[in-house]
Amino acid sequence: MLPKSESPNTPIQVEPKRKFFTSRDWAGYLFSAPLLIGVLGFAIYPMIQALIMSFKKSTGLFGGDWIGLSNYKYVLTDKIFWQSIYNTFYMGILAVVLGVSASFILASLIHNVPWLKWRNFFKGVYFLPNVVSLVATSILFTFLFNPGSEGLLNYALGILGIGPIGWFTDPAYSRFSIVLMTLWGMLGYNTIIFIAALSSVPNDLYEAAEVDGANWFKKWFYITVPYLKPIILFMVIMGTIGAMKRFTDVWLIGGTAGNPAGSLMTGVLYIYRNAFLSSQMGIATAASYILFMFILVLTIILLLANRRSNFD
Amino acid sequence: MNTTPLSPTAKLGQGKNEKVRSMKKAQLTGNILLLAILLLGSLIMIIPFLWMVLTSFDWQARLKIPFPPRFWPEEFSLKTYKLAFTNIPMFKYIINSLLVSVGVIVISLSSALLSGYAISKLKFKGAGIVLVLALSTMMIPFEMTMIPQYLLFSELKLLDSYWAFYLPALNFAFGTFLAKSFIDQLPSSLREAGIIDGASEFIVFFKIYLPLCVPILATMVILQFLAVWNDLLWPLLALQTPDKYTIQLGLAMFSYNKDLPLPSVIMAATTVSLLPVIITYLFLQRYIVESIALSGIKQ
Repeated sequence: MLPKSESPNTPIQVEPKRKFFTSRDWAGYLFSAPLLIGVLGFAIYPMIQALIMSFKKSTGLFGGDWIGLSNYKYVLTDKIFWQSIYNTFYMGILAVVLGVSASFILASLIHNVPWLKWRNFFKGVYFLPNVVSLVATSILFTFLFNPGSEGLLNYALGILGIGPIGWFTDPAYSRFSIVLMTLWGMLGYNTIIFIAALSSVPNDLYEAAEVDGANWFKKWFYITVPYLKPIILFMVIMGTIGAMKRFTDVWLIGGTAGNPAGSLMTGVLYIYRNAFLSSQMGIATAASYILFMFILVLTIILLLANRRSNFD
Repeated sequence: MNTTPLSPTAKLGQGKNEKVRSMKKAQLTGNILLLAILLLGSLIMIIPFLWMVLTSFDWQARLKIPFPPRFWPEEFSLKTYKLAFTNIPMFKYIINSLLVSVGVIVISLSSALLSGYAISKLKFKGAGIVLVLALSTMMIPFEMTMIPQYLLFSELKLLDSYWAFYLPALNFAFGTFLAKSFIDQLPSSLREAGIIDGASEFIVFFKIYLPLCVPILATMVILQFLAVWNDLLWPLLALQTPDKYTIQLGLAMFSYNKDLPLPSVIMAATTVSLLPVIITYLFLQRYIVESIALSGIKQ
């Protein structure tokens, strides 16, 4: 719409560079102000406030007596907290390992369908549960996983002579059932990211390998997997972080006690319980910092592991 | 992308030997097998929905799921839906959810686009610091800051109002990142030309760059809508009067506090709660899938 401004005979000098901040700088600050207010007010400030509160015995934002590390001591010696960490990790590791490998296989299958229409159809269908809220998913699966023989899954298994299984009511199965439900809901997310990544693998690599006589497994193992490693790592990290924050489904299915028998008590549920049921804000914020440290350490370990294997 | 194009019109040389033909045949069998496996998997993904929707019309399932479980109700009835709507103010909750979603989308996208544009094209002093600062807050889980945020809104007397959603929406760092990467690809000469013509920075942004940003805006709308519509934890903390509940919170509260398990009534309510998202998905499916793939790779 406008000619390029690079013409040398432009007489107008727009920004006299005399002041430290040019008008362009000021415009930049003005444009970034909403973001900065958001970042400072609703991320950095609460993060610092949470740290302060974790050293206090308080029920509100301000005030309360400094009690040093007592809150941390309380949390770290609380059996329920360790159980919640155990449960969180149990479900998290299982969901990440099963989820990433299943979606990788699924993505490879869909990627190899030669018809575009079908590929899009499968992407659409497998991704569908992902747009469904966790509330709806949890409600739906409470009925599907009904412990009686009238539950759809138990009925189907009953035909095979298995069951009935107390999916969400038997502490031996409850965590695994949550993982199954998560898989159903999240499978499509990883899958479409994998599909996008698979289509970015340069084709000539495969062609070169074919010339060298590589079979499909060798091609998969020596080209596809190394090429997708950063994506796999990304998914493992995001999956782990997500799993550490599990709340909605376990709260709806197991209540604030993490029933059955505390097997569905998770880290965030522990924080929620302490903060909003017993108003122990100090204990809750201390627990949230400990949980955050777990997430941080896990992420660093994963990144380091990846770096090391890259050097090999 | 397409590894083995199998076009039916591809003419095999007539004189070609049987080997090629049998290879093609084996490939076709393989592809059909692949299709069959994937279709079976699709069925597993769909069955829970199908069962829920069909059971939601089953009047006999209002108190207890019938045994043996069935897909097709013996008597189709809309009474379950009537019960759902009389027990749960669904319309109100959906309107509330829309109010929250639209507000959050408008605020978060404005903030993201303005800051993304500023970082990309205004290159003000400290732009890099702003970007790094914003991106590093993406590492902070919401669950960590929710307690101080709850107490902060309680101090401000803004709990139980939608400001508790709108204000934090200012921090949409991922959106800033998406906008910045997108605007990086637009030419800077547009801005320079606009400035020379005497337009202000804001007019340049608003009249020249904003219209070009529609694709990335659409992606951000999708990401934010799904996130806000489906969220439970923050509404659970921030909203107290049932009148203000979002649809997820309303549904969760009804199913959480139930004394009687009302299977088909709850399923009817759940089906209704899913309608807006599912309808959007049906129309924008490919777009949504692409947005998610893009956001996953960008992160």
